[in-house]
Amino acid sequence: MKRKQRTEILIEGSHELAKSLANEIEQKYSVSVIQEPEHGLVMLKVRETSRKSLFYLGEVLVTECKAKVEGKIGMGIVKGDHPDLAYQLAVIDAAFLGNLPETKPWAGILEIEKYYIDQKRKAKNEEILRTKVSFETMDV
Amino acid sequence: MGYVAVKGGTLAIEESIKRLKYERLHKEQVLETRQIEGGMRGLIDQVMSESSLYDEKLAALAIKQAEGNPEEAVFLLRAYRSTLPRKHSSQIIETGQMKVERRISASFKDIPGGQILGATTDYTHRLLDFNLMKETEESVSEWLSNYALEHRANEMLQDAPELALPKVLDYLRKEGLIPPLENNDAEPDDVTRESLEFPSSRSQRLQILTRGETGAVTSLAYAVIRGYGALHPTVGELRVGSLPINVEHPNEAGSDEDEYYIGEIKTTEAEMLMPFMIEKAKGKKELEFEIGYGLCFGQNETKAIAMGILDNCLEHPDNSFPSHNEEFVLLHIDSVESTGFISHLKMPHYVTFQSKLDSVRKTKAKAEEREEVQAYE
Repeated sequence: MKRKQRTEILIEGSHELAKSLANEIEQKYSVSVIQEPEHGLVMLKVRETSRKSLFYLGEVLVTECKAKVEGKIGMGIVKGDHPDLAYQLAVIDAAFLGNLPETKPWAGILEIEKYYIDQKRKAKNEEILRTKVSFETMDV
Repeated sequence: MGYVAVKGGTLAIEESIKRLKYERLHKEQVLETRQIEGGMRGLIDQVMSESSLYDEKLAALAIKQAEGNPEEAVFLLRAYRSTLPRKHSSQIIETGQMKVERRISASFKDIPGGQILGATTDYTHRLLDFNLMKETEESVSEWLSNYALEHRANEMLQDAPELALPKVLDYLRKEGLIPPLENNDAEPDDVTRESLEFPSSRSQRLQILTRGETGAVTSLAYAVIRGYGALHPTVGELRVGSLPINVEHPNEAGSDEDEYYIGEIKTTEAEMLMPFMIEKAKGKKELEFEIGYGLCFGQNETKAIAMGILDNCLEHPDNSFPSHNEEFVLLHIDSVESTGFISHLKMPHYVTFQSKLDSVRKTKAKAEEREEVQAYE
């Protein structure tokens, strides 16, 4: 599973999952923190749809961490103030970069979590779609 | 204007700061920041938008510290923002990927994907709800359970469509009603890194408009519609929803799928349609549409629409209207700039004012002297 999908599942799903996967690595390997979780900003680059040009919408607060496992440096970055999650994401990222054997069954676990995220999204979409409206114009 | 430093009043200043704390606390109510975050969505969104910093928790803290005063909260957040390192720039965010929660068009009744009201006060009676004075945690949790039960009946319908809906503008472009456009990926300018110079770039204008003070942006756009401008806009599409944010690995070039997803932000987007006549060959006139663009943090619909109106005004400079003058608009809508400058009038101006006073006294004395001489003659 590629990084974008994996990080989306770990951030949007239960944070307990990231905790347990990082814990699995911590128990078997030595993890060194290259950069403690710290706050920073990500500038948001957006395409406007009038001229299709780019502009900066503003910045979002993030927590970022870097951790080294088996010689590979992983990065964890997440919107908001989440030092623990940023660290866990960094460890998981390093584990995937090092292609550690523990990561093999993780794809299945992440797929299951994705299923729950999708179910929640569908439920939310259904709620939103209850407000779908069909406007009629009246003859005057 | 020259400024002269003053000193003194250390003790009085310390007491003044204590007095400020007293005013915040004397009713002995400790406002938890999570209560502000949970119950003051409109103010949180406004403060995040004007401070150009997206974080609900920090906005709630700033609102608490500022006792609900948005201009002070924005000031606090802008100051805090300047202490943080910028780690990355996001990958390009395409608003077509928005997970829509609300989406309407005032121009077209039937838009592909349909109109979705979402959460809005537009159809409420605007009567004070005195029941809110009696609202308790129990009554809230009962309401939430009933809401969940009401929606559980639909759980079987697991094929609810994705709410990434097509853009109305794309539909109009396909129809040939708006000229097609290629993406322009030129790096945008950043007004937080380089001072604004005129004429400004489109990216600078949009960045200043999106972080503009909500009331100021709205007032100027209102003035345009009232006649202090040359536009007659209609809402082509207004949408509220979440946009996913991705960043690239700092040292590793890879495909899109190797990016880091970092979370979502809620935004409001407005695409305003402005009809205008263009002269074609042989004096033939044709009606065409231009688009004014608005996008801001949170659910902030009036501001996004107003931004769209002003965007189009500034694309068409016209010195007959202040609303079409970029210096007038861009230099006056920033909350920190405008409130900061007005507030500075409270600071000591003793030397400058004394010199003005001296000059008035001298003029008066000369006039009196002249009158006396004339009376003698």
